[in-house]
Amino acid sequence: MERRLTFGRCMMLGLAWTVLGFMVLPMLIIFPVSLTDQYYLSLPKESLSLEHYKAYFTDEQWIDATVQSVIIAVASTVASVVLGTLCAIGCWRISTSRASAVRTFMLLPIIVPTIVQALALYRFWIDLRIVDTYIGVILAHTLVSIPYVVITVSAALAGFDVRLEQAARNLGASMAQTIRHVIVPSIMPGVLSGAIFAFTISFDEIVMVLFITSRNVYTLPKRIWDGIEDHLDPTIASVATMLIVVTLALLLAELWLRQRRSIARGRASGEA
Amino acid sequence: MTGSEQPVRSGLSHALSLHSVTKLYGSLAAVDDVSLSIPRGSFLTLLGPSGSGKTTILMAIAGFVQPTRGEIRLDDRVITNVPPDKRNFGMVFQGYALFPHMTVEDNIWFPLKVRGISKARASTAIGEALELVQMGALARRLPSQLSGGQQQRVALARALVFEPDLMLLDEPLSALDKKLRADLQWELKALHRKLGTTFIYVTHDQEEALSMSDEIVILRDGRIEQQGEPGALYEKPATRFVADFLGKSNFLAGKVAGRDAETFTYSVEGTELRQCSTAPVALGENVLVALRPEKIVVARSRPDLPNATVGRIAEFNYYGANYHFKVATPHLGDLIATTPAWNCDVEPALDSEVWLGWSPEAAVVVEDR
Repeated sequence: MERRLTFGRCMMLGLAWTVLGFMVLPMLIIFPVSLTDQYYLSLPKESLSLEHYKAYFTDEQWIDATVQSVIIAVASTVASVVLGTLCAIGCWRISTSRASAVRTFMLLPIIVPTIVQALALYRFWIDLRIVDTYIGVILAHTLVSIPYVVITVSAALAGFDVRLEQAARNLGASMAQTIRHVIVPSIMPGVLSGAIFAFTISFDEIVMVLFITSRNVYTLPKRIWDGIEDHLDPTIASVATMLIVVTLALLLAELWLRQRRSIARGRASGEA
Repeated sequence: MTGSEQPVRSGLSHALSLHSVTKLYGSLAAVDDVSLSIPRGSFLTLLGPSGSGKTTILMAIAGFVQPTRGEIRLDDRVITNVPPDKRNFGMVFQGYALFPHMTVEDNIWFPLKVRGISKARASTAIGEALELVQMGALARRLPSQLSGGQQQRVALARALVFEPDLMLLDEPLSALDKKLRADLQWELKALHRKLGTTFIYVTHDQEEALSMSDEIVILRDGRIEQQGEPGALYEKPATRFVADFLGKSNFLAGKVAGRDAETFTYSVEGTELRQCSTAPVALGENVLVALRPEKIVVARSRPDLPNATVGRIAEFNYYGANYHFKVATPHLGDLIATTPAWNCDVEPALDSEVWLGWSPEAAVVVEDR
C-alpha cells in the first residue's frame, strides 16, 4: 500500500524518529567511548584502541564480578522459571476467581518500586542472616523475576487446549507426568521467554544489590557502579558495550521465540 | 476388519452403571437423576441436543466431572471417586486432542510410556494399533501433518492401545465432512465388533446414533427422555420431542371420536382419521399423533387408504434420491412427505394438487411434551 507523504505525515514520522533517536543514541555513545585511547571516559582523540577491552579480560576483579553475576543470574533464572511456571499452571488449572487473584498478586514485585522492595528485603535479610550472601541475592532476584515468568507462561497457557490435559489424564498419566510430558512441552516458548527475561533482569539488577551486599558478593553492575564513582575508568564503557550486545542478543532471541509461537498458533487455528 | 471375525477380547469387556447421578452447577442441574445400565460389550449412544447433559455424563464417566450426587460403577466396583488416570478408560475427544509436539507413534506410545513401558517393548502394541486403524505408513508424522480423518484414526489407536476397560467417544466424527463421516461410521462399528469392548458414544447427530448403536439413550435437559434399540426408538417414540429429534415427524392433534378393538378414530378440524393403538384411549380425549414423512403415500389420485387428504404443493426439495414435499392441506395444516425420486407418482410443481394417504399403522400416538 503506497501512501502520499503529506506534511502531517512528515511531522509524525519526524517526531517518531526523534523519540527513537532520543532513546537509542545515548546508549550508542558507549561504543566510541569504549574504543578511546585515553585513560578516562572520553571519545577517542587520536586513534581507536582496544586497550580497555583487553583491560577487562585481564583484570581478575572484572572477571570475578562477571562470574558472580552469571552464577547469580543462572540460579535465580532456574528458581524463578520453576516457581513461576508452576504458579502459572496452578492458577490456570484451578481457574477460579481466587486463582486469578493469586495471579494478580504475583505481579506485585513489578508494581512496588524496587527501592522500597530493596529496603524491605534488606531489613528482612538481616533477620535471616543472609545479607551479603549468594543465597540472599539469588532469592531477591528470583522474587523480582517471577512475575515475568508468570506473565509469559500464562500467556502461553491461554492458547493451550484443556482437552490435551484431559487426554493425558485419561490415558493414565498422573498430574506430574501430564505437566512434564504434555503441558510444559506445549508451553515451552512461553517458559523460555520467561527465562530470558529473568536472566536479563538479574544480570543487570543494581538497586537491590546495593542494599543487600557489601564485600562478599560483588556483581558486575555493582562493579560498574563503583567504577564510575571512584575513577572514570573507560573499561566501564567496554563492559557496557558487551552488556548491550548480550542483552540485545537475548531480547532478539525472545522476539524470535514469540514470532515462532504466533506462527505456530496461526497454523493451528488455520487448520481448525 | 470384516464382520465375520470373532471379538478378540469380549471376555475382557466390562459393564458400567450409573445410579441416580446428578450434577449441579449452582442451582442448575446439568445432569438430573440419571440411572443407566450399560451391558458388557455393547455400543451405547447418548444422543441429545446441546445442553442436554450428554457430554457431562461422559465426562463424569471419564472422571473429569465429579457428580454432585449418585454413584458410577464399573461391574460391581464403585468408581465415582477414582481419578481419571486410574480408571483405564480410553477416550476419543472432540477435536481429537492429539499431542501436537509428538509424532503419531509417540502419541500412541504415550499411554504405555506413563505405565512404565519402554518404546522398544511397546513397539509391537504400537504397530498393531496403527494397523488396526490403517495408519502404519504415517507413524512418524506430526499431527499437524495429518488430515482430520487421519487424526481421528490416530486418536482412536491411542485410546485403544492400552486395552482400556471401556471406550468413550465424544462426538468423534463431528469435525469431518459428510462422506468421511459415513465411511468412519462403518469402520467404528466394525472395530467395536472386532474388539468387543464396551463403547459409549456421545453425539447430537441422529443418523450416527441410528446407524451404529446397539442402544440409544435420548437426553433432554439433563434427564433421560427415552431409551431403547434404534429401530424401536424410531418406530415407537414416546413423546413429541423424541419423534421430532430422532428423524422428523408431522404432528396431528385431534380428539378421539370413536373406538373399536385395535383402532380408534380421531378428528382434526372436522377430518376423521383412523389410528392403530394398543394403549387405551377414552372418547373425547385429546391425542397427538406423530407421522413420519416417508410413511405418507404421495399420489395423483385419492389413494386406497383409510387416511387421505388432498392438498397443494407449497414447497418441494430435490435430494437426488428423494423428493421432499411440503403440502398445504385444508384441515391438517402443512404436512411434510418424502418419496423416492425414481418412483414419484406426482408432477413436482408448485401449487399442483396431490393426494396424501397413510395407513392406521403408519403413525404413532405420542405424549405431547
